[in-house]
Amino acid sequence: MFWTVTNAMLEGMGTTLELFALTLLFSLPLGLVVAFGSMSKWTPLRFLSQISGAPKWFGWFATFRPIKLIVDFIVWVIRGTPLMLQLMIIYFGPGLILDNNIWGSGNSGRFIATVAAFVLNYSCYFSVIYRGGIEGVPVGQREAGQVLGMTKSQIFFKITLLQMIKRIVPPMSNEIITLVKDTSLARIIAVSELIKVGESFMKSDGLIWPLFYTGVYYLLFVGILTLLFGYIERKLSYFR
Amino acid sequence: MAVLQVQNIEKHFGRVQVLKDISFDLEQGQTLAIIGSSGSGKTTLLRCLNFLETPDGGKISVHGETLFDAADPATQKEKEVRKKRLHFGMVFQSFNLFPQYTALKNVMLAPELLAKNNPDYNKKATSEELEAQARKLLQQMGLADRADHYPHQLSGGQQQRVAIARALAMKPDIMCFDEPTSALDPELTGEVLKVIRGLAEQKTTMIIVTHEMAFARDVADQVIFMDQGVIVEQGDAREVIENPKEERTRKFLSRYSGS
Repeated sequence: MFWTVTNAMLEGMGTTLELFALTLLFSLPLGLVVAFGSMSKWTPLRFLSQISGAPKWFGWFATFRPIKLIVDFIVWVIRGTPLMLQLMIIYFGPGLILDNNIWGSGNSGRFIATVAAFVLNYSCYFSVIYRGGIEGVPVGQREAGQVLGMTKSQIFFKITLLQMIKRIVPPMSNEIITLVKDTSLARIIAVSELIKVGESFMKSDGLIWPLFYTGVYYLLFVGILTLLFGYIERKLSYFR
Repeated sequence: MAVLQVQNIEKHFGRVQVLKDISFDLEQGQTLAIIGSSGSGKTTLLRCLNFLETPDGGKISVHGETLFDAADPATQKEKEVRKKRLHFGMVFQSFNLFPQYTALKNVMLAPELLAKNNPDYNKKATSEELEAQARKLLQQMGLADRADHYPHQLSGGQQQRVAIARALAMKPDIMCFDEPTSALDPELTGEVLKVIRGLAEQKTTMIIVTHEMAFARDVADQVIFMDQGVIVEQGDAREVIENPKEERTRKFLSRYSGS
């Protein structure tokens, strides 16, 4: 029985790993885009402040930053509601509202919807970590690049980026380890990840130990990640 | 003709006017020291010259070419500004070395990135040439044996000398120093001042914001004393520091007498 359970669980672990990897693959870069959005200084109505004799409230519109406002609103909604709820809304929402299940039917449809929800959710969390990392790099670094005639993108890629990465490794490792365990939420829309596989033995064979046994898989996985993050931190310790 | 002409520079931060009608000329090979108490606008003036701040009014010309004109927005486009700021080298109070690069790479990075714009860019030849130049500059700063050290492995004085080499590597017309020794211990101050003195002897055109009065008197040709955003007194360095004409200058300098 032990080997039957272990084999079934390796399959569940496969789904868990796939969800984990795809979420990171998309949300790590998307989070950076969201971070830039939340730092956007674009003020399309700036010209209003230059109109002489304009009423005072024109000044408020002149500092209006539409991109930042929209991005901050999205991040608020995503961080302000449970991932489990987002997962259900994203999976069932289109079918109920548009009368059209855009995710397709069956297991693959459920899995794609799960990835979409996780990517959206984790991009928002990552964006805040990125922003902290970027803002944590002293202004003097950017100014030093500017006076040396570097372009904005050269300053970001050659100066800011690595210093930012060094700063965000500890909070990122926290968030990524949380992601490992958040993958278990996927069972709410019947994706066969690790916990769901473990639970299934309760119904079919009346066994509870397979469910407890899933903990070993999570622990091993997080153990490997912890070693990996330790390695990255050591790699980046050559500078301060 | 003067290398640098600054005409009627004005700058506000919100409602506070930090620079009022600042005008001065600087001749080729001369060293100008700017003195004054904290908050007098010295640093802001230097930051305006480097385009880290945009003046609200006035004109800045180098070799007769207008780099900045507050009345002409065409001179304020980012791409234009990037080219123009290369006329000025800047050394910061807090060094601002790039921590992830060695001293050598700190000096080489910007010239390397700039060289990539050349149509006949050859990676290997360029980087060899720039490395030779960077090593020579570090040697000139007395840091030949520190080229492969990272900033955190260097003392403050050594870091500041790397920062000077980094600014010199861009071959600016005018070197600007923003209180280059204010973040250093007295013993480390000496080694940085010695390097700057060496540059003055080689007739590097320089502007130095400093609180080191003896240094300003001995090394600078010209001195500007600023107070509350205006130039109160300017003239020959020794003359201004030893025989100030204005009451405000005298009062300021009296705090330094005895040192």
